[in-house]
Amino acid sequence: MASRDVVHYNTPLQRVLSVLSVVFVIFYLIWTLLPFVIMFVSSFKDLLEAFKLPAVGDWAGIGVFFEFTPTLKHYQTLFAENNFSRYMLNSLIAAGGSAVISVIFGSLAAYSLSRVDFRGKSDLFFWIISTRMAPVVAVMVPLFAIFRSLDLVGTLPGLILAYTTFNLPFAIWILKGFFDNVPYGIEEAQMVDGATRFQAFRSILPLVAPGIGAFIVLCILFAWNDFLFAAIIGSGGAKTLPVATRELVQPQNIQWGAIMAAGVVTTAPMMLLGLVIRKYLVTGLTMGAVKE
Amino acid sequence: MATVTIRNVWKYYGQTPAVKDLNVTCPDGSFVSILGPSGCGKSSTMRMIAGLEHISAGDILFDNQRINDLAPKDRDVAMVFENYALYPHKTVFENIANPLRLRGTADATIKERVTGAARLLEIAHLLERRPHELSGGQKQRVAIGRAIVREPKLFLFDEPIAHLDAKLRAHMRGEIKHLQRNLGTTMIYVTHDQLEALSMADFIAVMHDGELQQWGTPSEIFNKPVNAWVAGFVGEPAMNFLTCDLKRRGDDVVLSHHNFDIPLLPGQVRQLNGAAQAGIARMGVRPDAMTVSMTKPSEAAIQGEIFVNELLGGDMLVEVQLADSRIRVKTTPEFEGKPGEICYLTVNRDKWHVFDAGDGHAYF
Ligand SMILES: Nc1ncnc2c1ncn2[C@@H]1O[C@H](COP(=O)(O)OP(=O)(O)O)[C@@H](O)[C@H]1O
Ligand SMILES: [Mg+2]
Repeated sequence: MASRDVVHYNTPLQRVLSVLSVVFVIFYLIWTLLPFVIMFVSSFKDLLEAFKLPAVGDWAGIGVFFEFTPTLKHYQTLFAENNFSRYMLNSLIAAGGSAVISVIFGSLAAYSLSRVDFRGKSDLFFWIISTRMAPVVAVMVPLFAIFRSLDLVGTLPGLILAYTTFNLPFAIWILKGFFDNVPYGIEEAQMVDGATRFQAFRSILPLVAPGIGAFIVLCILFAWNDFLFAAIIGSGGAKTLPVATRELVQPQNIQWGAIMAAGVVTTAPMMLLGLVIRKYLVTGLTMGAVKE
Repeated sequence: MATVTIRNVWKYYGQTPAVKDLNVTCPDGSFVSILGPSGCGKSSTMRMIAGLEHISAGDILFDNQRINDLAPKDRDVAMVFENYALYPHKTVFENIANPLRLRGTADATIKERVTGAARLLEIAHLLERRPHELSGGQKQRVAIGRAIVREPKLFLFDEPIAHLDAKLRAHMRGEIKHLQRNLGTTMIYVTHDQLEALSMADFIAVMHDGELQQWGTPSEIFNKPVNAWVAGFVGEPAMNFLTCDLKRRGDDVVLSHHNFDIPLLPGQVRQLNGAAQAGIARMGVRPDAMTVSMTKPSEAAIQGEIFVNELLGGDMLVEVQLADSRIRVKTTPEFEGKPGEICYLTVNRDKWHVFDAGDGHAYF
């Protein structure tokens, strides 16, 4: 393979461009990170301190943002008064449950679609993807009616099922691409070596692990951040973090402090997950694109 | 160890037949080579034996047991794939150990057998590497290691050394042959390289367009080809073919061409069976069944003009222009003829062949 160094010529134009790009990156970082910083800092502030703002144009007044005595009382409100640990658990179960179920059924279906030829295969595959073409809101009402008649509204299994409905086609679609990239010869060799069909399937799972990892993350993100399903199908017994946070906005009293703390509680686990699985996510999402 | 019987086997992909009515019996412990050009159905045959491809019609038997409906894992064969098909995420050790692991062999035995196989194949120092850290030759040895680590009934090698460079290929030919001799396991070895088949096999099955052309020992295939196609495919440099007339002259039958009239040997006349004693035929003669000289050695010599000389190391190949075609003859590097000069060819009539001009079958 050729070296990956990009040959660099230090012309004046190049120097100007590189300075400009650094400036751009700085602004971009401020733009994307500032909301998180404000959220994080504000969650530790008393309400009065949180709304202390410097006058417009008073750059020296920026220090005001950081003049406060840290307090954990918003977090106490969340967990002691508002039962947030329960909601967090609901979120975890709903997201994790649907991810696990989708990945099990998704990999089996994707494997079959990738390996077996049968009549109407391309139609079936298109039909599976097409279920993701309609926006969620469009199917919300009929879905709600079905779920209500099955007594699934307001239950965690109901919420898991709802997320799986939407994650499974996605899983099949992503994972099929990964299976397509694994040469069939590997399974044939396994079978001649003495493996059953199912053992041969299992033996190539490590080769699609990056795909499965990437998919699990995307799946969990979808469920964790979802508001619509959670508000309608999960409402009542299976309240998740976004719904609970929304309920902190009450007509006569918007609990800014608690909302900020809820934001931190909701964001932090996903950031952590992202850090842990970052390597997988990147190789996973690019591996399908580049053929060895 | 097993006798493999392939009986009236057909393979269809959709409507196109890839293997047509194949009948072959591979004796127990023999080294059988399936030889044919690319696309003639060699791999299809192999994959039907291994159980990776449905048998469209016919039966395959191992020791008189019909195996058509057995899953690959129950056939007890070991296969080396054309593209090696190693497990990319496993070390060399685990690749070789895989068939044993799948059979639940004890760890101590696995270690012993894998290191044994690795030593035999001279890859013992590579056991901790992964396939992408190996050269082509090393990968191929690992694939063979995976096949020989247990004692299967049958080895199936599908062009295992086709991708190696010439020198390594020559080396591996000897090694594989030696290995099969020592293990005594029946081997079916697919190749498109006639030299590989001739040098390694006990028996060769020559295939063309999905049909078996000839079954025989290497010397039968080389010296008594059943038709012009086999004669032309086997042997390097290839056999020369000339279209001639068969003419009766007294008690003799002569092979008559613009440049020559040569009588057949008496035994060969009998092999013509009367029917073809007059008419067109194709004469075939290998480059090493002729001699070339600059002076006329006898009346029967064929006169031609030297077209080009090729020096091939220890041999010289002279291409001679006749009236309507060129033929090649092998001689020694000391040969002094120059292109454009007149030369004379003498055919060793014991080693020439005459084929039917229509279907190409050999009279002798
Ligand atoms: N899976 C397949 N589907 C359709 N045709 C195939 C398939 N595999 C092989 N063929 C065709 O069958 C013929 C024989 O192929 P193969 O057995 O691989 O030949 P070989 O190994 O001698 O090169 C070829 O014409 C090939 O195109
Ligand atoms: Mg082949």
